[in-house]
Amino acid sequence: MLEHLNLRTRLLIATGLTLGLAPGLALAQEEEADPGPQPAEIIVTPSELELEVGDSLTLEAEVRDGDGNPMDRQVVFYSRRRRAVGVNPAGIVEAYRPGEHTLIAMVPKDPEDLHRRAEPAVTVEIPVTIPNPPVATVEVANLPGHLYTGTEIGLRPTVTDISGAVRHDVEVGWSSADPSVATVDSLGTLTLVRAGRTTLTVSAEAASSDTAIEVLANPVASITLGGAPDEPVRTGDVVFFEAKVTDASGNAVPDYPLQFATLGVPADGIVAPGAIAQVGDDGAFVAERSGTHTVIVDGFTHSASATVAVVSRNVRKDVEVVGRGPVRDRRTSDLWVWEGVDGRDYAVTGTHSADGHAYFWDVTDPSAISLIDTVRVDARTVNDVKVSEDGKFCVISREGASNRKNGLVILDVSDIRNGIEVIARYDDQLTGGVHNVFIAEDHIYALSAGRRYDILNAEDPTNPYRVGRFELDTPGHSIHDVWVADGIAYSSNWNDGIVAVDVGGGGMGGAPNNPVMLGSTPYPSGWNHAAYPYRSKSTGKFLMIGGDEAFPYQLMEGPRARRRAAGWIHIFEWDEWDSPREVARYQVPEAGTHNLWVEDDVLYIAYYNGGLRVVDISGEMRGDLYRQGREIASFRPYDPETVKPNSPFVWGPQPFKGHIYIADNTSGLWALKLVDAEPVNLGEPH
Amino acid sequence: MSFRRSRLPAASALVLALGLAPLAAAEDPEPPRRNYFVYVCAESDDTVHLLRFGPSGFEELDVIPVGSFPTETEGPHGINISPDGSYWFLSIAHGMPFGAVHKYETGTNEWLGDVTLGLFPATMDVSPSTGLLYVVNFNLHGDHVPSTISVVETGTMIEVATIDTGVMPHGARMNAKGDRLYSVNMMDDELVEVDAMRFEIARRLYLGTDPHAGHAGMDHGDMGGMRAPVVKPTWATKPSPSGKVYVAGNGDSAIYEVDLEGWEVSRRFDAGPGENPYNLELTSDGSVLVATYKSGKKLGFWDLASGELIAAPETTRRVPHGVVVSDDDRYAIVTLEGVGGEPGTVEVYDIATTQRVSEIDVGKQAGGIIYWKGEP
Repeated sequence: MLEHLNLRTRLLIATGLTLGLAPGLALAQEEEADPGPQPAEIIVTPSELELEVGDSLTLEAEVRDGDGNPMDRQVVFYSRRRRAVGVNPAGIVEAYRPGEHTLIAMVPKDPEDLHRRAEPAVTVEIPVTIPNPPVATVEVANLPGHLYTGTEIGLRPTVTDISGAVRHDVEVGWSSADPSVATVDSLGTLTLVRAGRTTLTVSAEAASSDTAIEVLANPVASITLGGAPDEPVRTGDVVFFEAKVTDASGNAVPDYPLQFATLGVPADGIVAPGAIAQVGDDGAFVAERSGTHTVIVDGFTHSASATVAVVSRNVRKDVEVVGRGPVRDRRTSDLWVWEGVDGRDYAVTGTHSADGHAYFWDVTDPSAISLIDTVRVDARTVNDVKVSEDGKFCVISREGASNRKNGLVILDVSDIRNGIEVIARYDDQLTGGVHNVFIAEDHIYALSAGRRYDILNAEDPTNPYRVGRFELDTPGHSIHDVWVADGIAYSSNWNDGIVAVDVGGGGMGGAPNNPVMLGSTPYPSGWNHAAYPYRSKSTGKFLMIGGDEAFPYQLMEGPRARRRAAGWIHIFEWDEWDSPREVARYQVPEAGTHNLWVEDDVLYIAYYNGGLRVVDISGEMRGDLYRQGREIASFRPYDPETVKPNSPFVWGPQPFKGHIYIADNTSGLWALKLVDAEPVNLGEPH
Repeated sequence: MSFRRSRLPAASALVLALGLAPLAAAEDPEPPRRNYFVYVCAESDDTVHLLRFGPSGFEELDVIPVGSFPTETEGPHGINISPDGSYWFLSIAHGMPFGAVHKYETGTNEWLGDVTLGLFPATMDVSPSTGLLYVVNFNLHGDHVPSTISVVETGTMIEVATIDTGVMPHGARMNAKGDRLYSVNMMDDELVEVDAMRFEIARRLYLGTDPHAGHAGMDHGDMGGMRAPVVKPTWATKPSPSGKVYVAGNGDSAIYEVDLEGWEVSRRFDAGPGENPYNLELTSDGSVLVATYKSGKKLGFWDLASGELIAAPETTRRVPHGVVVSDDDRYAIVTLEGVGGEPGTVEVYDIATTQRVSEIDVGKQAGGIIYWKGEP
């Protein structure tokens, strides 16, 4: 009976005592007073704005009741795009960026109306238009040094407005002063008609520029296409064709425009294959299907072609399960395999969203993997595990510590069979959780705050201390992983791409206590999660293999969507720090990448729901390696007795002494081996 | 002033503290006759749990997976309900790198949208007079740098303002009028009062012991990092009907009563060594304060008229975190994080007797909790 009364009232009734009531209670028991006139309208002047960038203006606001009488009520102003147009509490508006924006003026609900409510009394939207700044300059961006009759050039403009911004949203007009010499259409296609001089005009808004051009008589007598191989090549092999354009005297014709194309006939039995090959502007050809392919170089007045015989790549291997270290009661995260101080081989695996365990395995005999120890720390996730090059200490990262200090834990694994000892904990300024770590030359690289990595001196692993830190300065920068090789740290920075930093081996004076940025790759997808630096044994080129992590379906379908990954492997040639070039990809449909490793021109990828993927990355690469049949093997670890039965979700791979170890999120550690494939025709690309 | 922590049994302590005859409080709690609904965050499982406590017991009605990256622990931390009870808002601490607040419909728990905010968005509250949401960006990532409070228009889920506040802001509760927000800056030892209509700090109150600091309205940026925090405040309550805000001193294991009119500490309650109050909640009449003692594995029930500790019952699991009080002031509902792989636990206490009357396990690291509604 008393339960609907408040605490003190119930107690008072129960005891008959006469303690004073709290003011809130007394108010609650009074009849509700007439709230009086309420705001019904807010008149903002001006009701809509058009401002130039940099302009300022003050809004006037008048609140009226239902009878149209003015009221003295507070008005709250804000902007729905505050980085484009700002408004302060006094209603002073400032225009920052072009576009269509909205300001809000609202009158809060009656402050004495204490009932639950969601909306203010009155709200009005004030449209704000800030036009783009006028175009300042427009110029032709790509005019070659020589122009020849009978050819075409696709012109591109560079448009800059008065703020200095390069614009791509402005309509551009093209014209030629003498169409009998050259014409240019609305798309900027310049057609060179006859020898002579004319002036090209490009215009945008009120700006324009003139460019005088001279069209030369076309001297071309011959175009040849070299580079065709005498022997058949395999799908995925890159053939570099070279076109030579010469005049009647056999001299090369400079700046002559050429276009490459390819067509072909697939091998018998390949029906409806889709595109079967590609050729780039540089003449690099690669086939996705076996057959007879033709590469054409088109020089408008002349052309040439060459034929290539392509056979199936035929690198497929089968995967044999050699041994297992099952973890069935909690999820597994990363792994590291190493040769111990005692000469035996060991592996460590972490755990995810569990209770802070790391498992240590003896993998000397991969067919008889044995669990030799577990270490448990105050954490929910031990996401990353790494072991020093000398095999003496191990670093495990902590997330979800009960005291929220997280950081990392260092373990002595120098005498692992006789016990693993915690020799240090380090959480100074790493309290937000360490997601990934790396150990190189007595230093620990530890991710911090999802923003940067701290570099700890671990010459004495019982007493690590911070010596350096690297962090980008780009807006909203973020980091996921770091890997160190030959004195250069490569971090994975989502949409900032892969960042190379000299920490002693980059030749730019860098050191752990003085990290110096060398360069970065572009990464338009924004999904860069892992990176593996590798110098190709077959080409000598320095490659950067970037891996995505992406769950776009989750974003589309909401948090209840099944976990389904996306993303692919990006392959860059990166011999000059300022000119990385993405040349190829490996993309498995309907699956998404995680961690990776490269050894002996073979790429090992943990492809989450796609299992383990083993890919041939020997030689030059172009295009989509998956479609070219470069996949050597795939393996999905099924286990019916785990926390999530028969749900492969491979987290990390590591080749080691002829075997492949993988950590599977739902089933633990696996030791695998590649064996000759059964002669089963799977069709191309397999 | 400080008060000695009572050693009396819980029920008798309450009786003595309120000057009551033993009759009422010595009885066993009456069973609930209404249903009480709460949402609870499991920070290390990326789930939110909808729970109902009532005549049929304590039940889990729904488990809502949250976040966008199923392979990362994104950390749902703070949760709150729109003033009309139609929506719930959830802060997700970790992102790339910024966290977010997500909006859901109550009951159906349908996801409606989100907005990216600052580093480690945590506690939040909605102004009942404007519908604007205020979210503190806790940023516990090591470096002690000033952070912000984000202001979000909840209809569109657009961040419309950020308010510079201090180092590690935590706790965010509005006054009843919805024009003032109270929050603390953990590593600045500060309570701040936010003018929720002008999107600016109205007043600062230094709670620490540095004799050269603590001037209301001082420029935080001049002092940040120059003094070691002592109080390490982690929570500020909504104002009581008598105009008091209570602050959890996690660092010095005390609870501070701040008089809003005088903008000064009017009382200081010593929670006892090692208790480390973390979250606080008041009954609607402001007569009883319930505190979670994060390190102490206890709760504190305080009678605010006398300033005496009524009881400090031990919780069933470690790391007490959040606390809410039902709308009829009958129950305090408390989250317990647990450690490592332990599940989180939600406990219900009968406030009149301070007895634990029910508990239920949820996902790991149960933290943020919000009371949704009570119904027959």
